[in-house]
Amino acid sequence: MKLLLVEDQLELANSIVNYFSREGDVCEAANSFNRASEKLYGYQYDILILDLMLPDGNGMNLLSLVKENWPQMGVVIISAKNALDDKLKGLDLGADDYLPKPFHLAELNARTRAVFRRRHQKGQNLLTFKEIELNLETHEAKVNGSTLELTRKEFELLHYFFVNENRLLTKQTIAEHLWGDYMDSADSFDFVYQHIKNLRKKIASAGGNDYLKTVYGVGYKLKDE
Amino acid sequence: MNLILRVTIVFVFVSLIVFLIGGVISFNIMMREVNQEQRRFLIERLDRVSVMLERRPPKDTIDRNKFFMYPLAEFTEERVIFSDTLVMHSQLERIEPHLKVEAIRNVNGKSYAIILYDIIIEPDDIQDGLVESLVKMYLILLLAVIVIGFLSSYYFLKPFNETLSVIKSFSLRESGQKVHFPRSGIRELRRLNQFLEDMTHKVRSDYQLLKEFSENASHEIQTPIAIIQGKLEVLMEGEHMSEEQIGQIISAQNTLKRLSNLSHSLSILTKIENKEFDKISRVNLSDRLNSLLDEFRELIDLKSIMLETEITPEVFIEADDVLLDLLLTNLINNSIRHNWENGDIQISLTQKAFEVVNSGKDLDLDPDELFTRFKKSNQSSSSLGLGLAIVKKICDFYGFSLKYTQSGKQHRLKVVFRKN
Repeated sequence: MKLLLVEDQLELANSIVNYFSREGDVCEAANSFNRASEKLYGYQYDILILDLMLPDGNGMNLLSLVKENWPQMGVVIISAKNALDDKLKGLDLGADDYLPKPFHLAELNARTRAVFRRRHQKGQNLLTFKEIELNLETHEAKVNGSTLELTRKEFELLHYFFVNENRLLTKQTIAEHLWGDYMDSADSFDFVYQHIKNLRKKIASAGGNDYLKTVYGVGYKLKDE
Repeated sequence: MNLILRVTIVFVFVSLIVFLIGGVISFNIMMREVNQEQRRFLIERLDRVSVMLERRPPKDTIDRNKFFMYPLAEFTEERVIFSDTLVMHSQLERIEPHLKVEAIRNVNGKSYAIILYDIIIEPDDIQDGLVESLVKMYLILLLAVIVIGFLSSYYFLKPFNETLSVIKSFSLRESGQKVHFPRSGIRELRRLNQFLEDMTHKVRSDYQLLKEFSENASHEIQTPIAIIQGKLEVLMEGEHMSEEQIGQIISAQNTLKRLSNLSHSLSILTKIENKEFDKISRVNLSDRLNSLLDEFRELIDLKSIMLETEITPEVFIEADDVLLDLLLTNLINNSIRHNWENGDIQISLTQKAFEVVNSGKDLDLDPDELFTRFKKSNQSSSSLGLGLAIVKKICDFYGFSLKYTQSGKQHRLKVVFRKN
């Protein structure tokens, strides 16, 4: 996956580039409208991660430019403006997703991957990890060929682990991914444990191994050891 | 009552008093003049009588029309005395006040008394005439004042009324162009319009600045939070992190999340105050509530809370759907957050009201303070204390009434959409 990140905050850009690079993706950063368009004309990218507020121009303009010249490129908007207007406008102009700041890098990763899959891996709806297989179209999970009876949330949880393989996902990150704004009403994220427990049980009863590792009691990691 | 009518009434009263006093003064002055004239007239007649007396002194009393003369027995000093008297008027055939002069003249060592009286104009005639003319003048004045009042209120106040209608349609949110007030030839109005023009311009630009500031402040906070968030995540991924270190990072992340929520909530409050949620549509509240409850179902189940709902279908509210969502979400959130394990929630929606009743421990703050910002029952809890402030603000914005009551361990929050 080749990414162009347009973000004027150097520190944040570094973190994002760092995160994606470890995954084995190519992620380049541009900190201005001009630098971004130079790079766009010079190289080929799969996904554009775009901050709407740029020092030398509106991110919306860059979005129109991309949609005009490279309609195949997926666009994920990251913005400090959590304004519904901007979100709708961005999606109207052809952005694939909108993520308000601040966000978890794991969340950005999951969203970017989802866009990449939709845009560039059409038909490839199967994600596999060892003996576990996820069909993103039919929302079916299989272990060694036998179907798991998963709830919607359990499927989403497993999917989230799949796209963030080998990464520590904290309870907070997971809760925010699964419940979004509604998780505000939860006093603790212990309920995430319930889901993990159910998921483990279902995978184990289908004969799968437990790849969901508990990390220090603060989160979980999908890992093959 | 408009200004012109009020001024007219005051003017009518004042002029009535002026006319009354003026009438008395006019009457007195006229009477004085008439009296003087009568005296002069009587004195002229007296002089003529004196001349006649010198030529042919009478032996007996002479009694003619309005004239008496008789010789006195003793010699008396000459004198002239004026007085008023009532005499039968020969033509009018009624008693009328007359001016009388009694004089004593000495001719050839003999004294004669002369009595003359006469009337030129009767005082009640003067009075009648005065009253009649004053009443007519007063009526003309009244008519003139009313006509002029209405004409001037139409012509002079026209620019003023135009100014009023411009102010009436003034909106803070239309920034950019200046508000234009009609030109006026009247200096005071011109000054008023100039002042209003400057003021509206200033108010708009101040409002714009304030709006930009509060929005920017909220965004500007999110960006550094995003940076810290990213750094913490990279840090956490690092090798050789101890359990304690990761715990610290998680705790920092949670605090960061609260900071971000805080800034987000404050920006929502500001936006409601700035009336930025103005996309009014007909929202099917029943559908929204049902789908929101689906989202919350799991969180409710996780706390083993019994949920009872009574939702009237097809409840429509004209409002901004974002705000209605916020209203419902915050109230449901609230009922879950402040509930206890195995508690219960009853939610009801009718055409008139939305009500959430939930179990939970007693409030340890004044129920009136429940809707103020940053007030929360448990100061150490992770809640921001802004949820109900937002609910209250939304209710105020749409004119809904919001009431909290507690009976036993049951807390009831009721939003009434329509009053009747």
